[in-house]
Amino acid sequence: MVIALLAAGCTQTGEEGASPTAPPVTTLKVTGSTTVLPIAQAAADSCMNDNTTVDIQVTGGGSGVGVQSIGEGTADIGMSSRDLKSDEKTRYPDLVTTTIANDGIAVIVHPSNTVSGLTMAQIKAIYEGEITNWNEVGGPDRIIVVIGRDSASGTREFFSEKVMNREDFVATRLEKNSNGAVKQTVAQTPGAIGYVSLGYIDPEITAVPVIVDGKPVEPTVENVVSKRYPIARSLLMITHGAPSGLAKEYIDFIVSPAGQKIVSDEGFVPI
Amino acid sequence: MKPDSDHPVEEETSAELYSSARDKPDTAVNTGGDMLAHRHRREQVIRAAWFFCALFAVVTIFFILAFLFFDAYPIFLDVGVWNFISGMVWDPTSINPQYGIFPLIVGTLLVTLGAMAISIPLGIGTAIYIAELAPCRVKAIAKPAVELLAGIPSVVFGFFGLIMLTDWIRVTFDVPSGETWLAGSILLGVMALPTIISISEDAIASAPLECKEGSLALGATHWQTISRVVTPAALSGITAAVILGIGRAVGETMAVLMVTGNAAIIPDPIWNVLSPIRTLTGTLGIEMGEVPIGSTHYHALFGVAVVLLVITLIINIAATIILARIKERSMPSGTTCSVKRMEKPQEGSGERLMGMIRHYRLPLVAIALALLLFIIFGIFGAVAAGSLYLVVHVAGTRLSPRWTQRVAFSLVFICVLGVLFALGVILFDIIVNGAPYITWEFLTLPPSNLGRSGGIFPAIVGTLYLVAGAIGIALPIGIGAAVYLTEYTREGKTTKIIRTGTDLLNGTPSIVFGLFGFAFLVIYLKFGISLIAGQVTLALIVLPTIIRTTEEALRTVPTFIREGSLALGATKWQTIRRVVLPPSVPGIVTGTILSIGRAAGETAPILFTAVVFSTRFLPDSLFEPVMALPYHLYILATNVPGAEGQKYATALVLLGLVVVFYALAIWIRHRYTLQRMW
Repeated sequence: MVIALLAAGCTQTGEEGASPTAPPVTTLKVTGSTTVLPIAQAAADSCMNDNTTVDIQVTGGGSGVGVQSIGEGTADIGMSSRDLKSDEKTRYPDLVTTTIANDGIAVIVHPSNTVSGLTMAQIKAIYEGEITNWNEVGGPDRIIVVIGRDSASGTREFFSEKVMNREDFVATRLEKNSNGAVKQTVAQTPGAIGYVSLGYIDPEITAVPVIVDGKPVEPTVENVVSKRYPIARSLLMITHGAPSGLAKEYIDFIVSPAGQKIVSDEGFVPI
Repeated sequence: MKPDSDHPVEEETSAELYSSARDKPDTAVNTGGDMLAHRHRREQVIRAAWFFCALFAVVTIFFILAFLFFDAYPIFLDVGVWNFISGMVWDPTSINPQYGIFPLIVGTLLVTLGAMAISIPLGIGTAIYIAELAPCRVKAIAKPAVELLAGIPSVVFGFFGLIMLTDWIRVTFDVPSGETWLAGSILLGVMALPTIISISEDAIASAPLECKEGSLALGATHWQTISRVVTPAALSGITAAVILGIGRAVGETMAVLMVTGNAAIIPDPIWNVLSPIRTLTGTLGIEMGEVPIGSTHYHALFGVAVVLLVITLIINIAATIILARIKERSMPSGTTCSVKRMEKPQEGSGERLMGMIRHYRLPLVAIALALLLFIIFGIFGAVAAGSLYLVVHVAGTRLSPRWTQRVAFSLVFICVLGVLFALGVILFDIIVNGAPYITWEFLTLPPSNLGRSGGIFPAIVGTLYLVAGAIGIALPIGIGAAVYLTEYTREGKTTKIIRTGTDLLNGTPSIVFGLFGFAFLVIYLKFGISLIAGQVTLALIVLPTIIRTTEEALRTVPTFIREGSLALGATKWQTIRRVVLPPSVPGIVTGTILSIGRAAGETAPILFTAVVFSTRFLPDSLFEPVMALPYHLYILATNVPGAEGQKYATALVLLGLVVVFYALAIWIRHRYTLQRMW
């Protein structure tokens, strides 16, 4: 039923502009952030299910690849989980960003970990290497294994800004190159702490509430929408100038109610 | 341009042509001169074509180096070459970005060292077993099994390592996290095994039979014959095998980045194998994707690639020199057996080196074994190895040859069991978990819902396209280069340069090709992410394997066969095409199999050049991107939660595809071997 609804949504937007001029198969290349990829792919699926004359190709690679591909014209839409950096803006001045979803970053631990909540200061101290055992923050007597993202990750960029005040991470942290890899490692490592996008929370790991003003706030869609959860950001789609043609239809579909349904189905936060 | 037109071979060729025209008057009815000139021209054209093929590898390696250096230049200017290499902190996104790659270099070297400590003893032991000890029937199974191990894609190893190996290490050694140097080394060791086993086995098996028979006839035991006659005769092949293994280990990206933890630190203390570690390749693999193009960080990554390339170049050049020394040493004795002689004072550093290696062989083996056991079992293993060495030492002097043989054979047998165990565990895990999910729909439908449902049909076809394209490009060039190297030239400066170029290309890490493909084909030539960019990148990767194996195959054709053909009046090219190439087909096929296995499983080179995560249409032009099995598996394993079954099933299909290729190729080789004339 959901699919039917989505397909209907796509048809509406799809028929507006495409039918008069559309050649037999129109291709749209979407490339970039692995965080945005699930949304883009699911949206592409429902568009293509309905309209067999479009082929929407979704590629990962990362936010940097997304910005670069759209800037150099090797893709039609770039995906990014961070804002454009200043040197990217000077390099490609005519890029336009559209926010297609919001996202919270959850701090996750192994399900066997009994820690009930962490303050922002505690998270920072753990990631700086000042707190090294879970018993210092109300958990079991276990060495903390700090897991982070690679230095080019948009998620890390955001985490560093929001949580770490751009101070350095502890040198012994393990680095993973995707949300899924962080989740996988945390699920297997009893002492681990990691941070992933909301969409990656599942029963294999436990998302730790962040203590704000003495009260624990769960990383949930509602709390991100109500802006109570402190670690939240926007997910972007980037186009050359304002979106047009098939790219416009695609992005319009994602920000439409049907598209935002996909966003929340994938575990992200609607705009 | 007529390359090498003053080469001595040309004279031979015209002489042959003359004799050929005279011996076959019926074919030269029209003016013999015309015919001669025509043939001569044709021979020249063919020769020139092969020369350019041979040149291709050299030109490519210099081009890659230049192109990477061009992109890395700004970082060397910014930070300074020395600071870049010796800097202790890699933190490119901090407020004070630091671009020091010393910990990454150390990480790369340590992981490789550990991998070699595992794969050299196991690999050579297994090669000796297969070549010398195994009964025919076991051999018939063992050889393809080893080739199959070579076909297991690195991303499958990484996937397996991430899920099983790291967990096992965490529990067994009671450490907070299993993502360690040890995990990387074990995985890389297993991955380097097939290369080492295949090539060593070929070298050992091709040791002259009469030497072996001679030794046995003199009353030496089987083990004495193996250790003092057969293995020394095969030393150059074994060394080549080890070098290729090292090349594979240094350059491996996907498996390493999935299991080593990627913490940019130097282990403390330095021999702490349970410390997380970060390699140069891992850094490229995880950071390249998201870096803003043109930023300092971007250039720093190209700097990392240049350093990585330079390290592999140094390893390879050193290896080439060592190999040349070994060849020189065995040259005077020609094809006769180089039986271990009584040590006497020797001239020349190469001679001395070899003498030393021979003299300290037992201690060297013991040290390698100690390192291996240390890595696997910690300090107790090292102590055990130490006492084992004493035992062996005593055995060497006190024990009867028969007992020595018994001990040696059991060690060899342990090696084989180790290899079989590794293969068994990996295959079992994947088959048991993947088989239930393989359905007709899975194989014939495009994916939907991020690969959590639907199938992988476009990925299967995409992989086939990529591999076919890569082989289609690399095979003609590779065979041409090998033909030029073995048939048209004598060993000289030109061949030396070409051969070195090929070796260097072979040692170049696949992620470096990926970077090059991205920067040159995708960005500079504006191919975009496309099938053709992936095919060209993969072709560059498999080219050296094809050249090398074809060369080896051509060399096994005895000279007298060629001479016979030439004496009967055939031209050079006729001889090559009708006499030399046909019996070399099995060898060439073996090389192609290894290449297919490699191309089908590579993820790093196509990551930034050819693949999309999902498309439901097959590409209709070379400039469209494709789906590919290894990339699909990588994404499912690291980016898509909740596709457990699909991951294993994709891994299984990838393996199955490789097995089909292999079975076909092994069958072809078997048929040709039966037809061999000598």
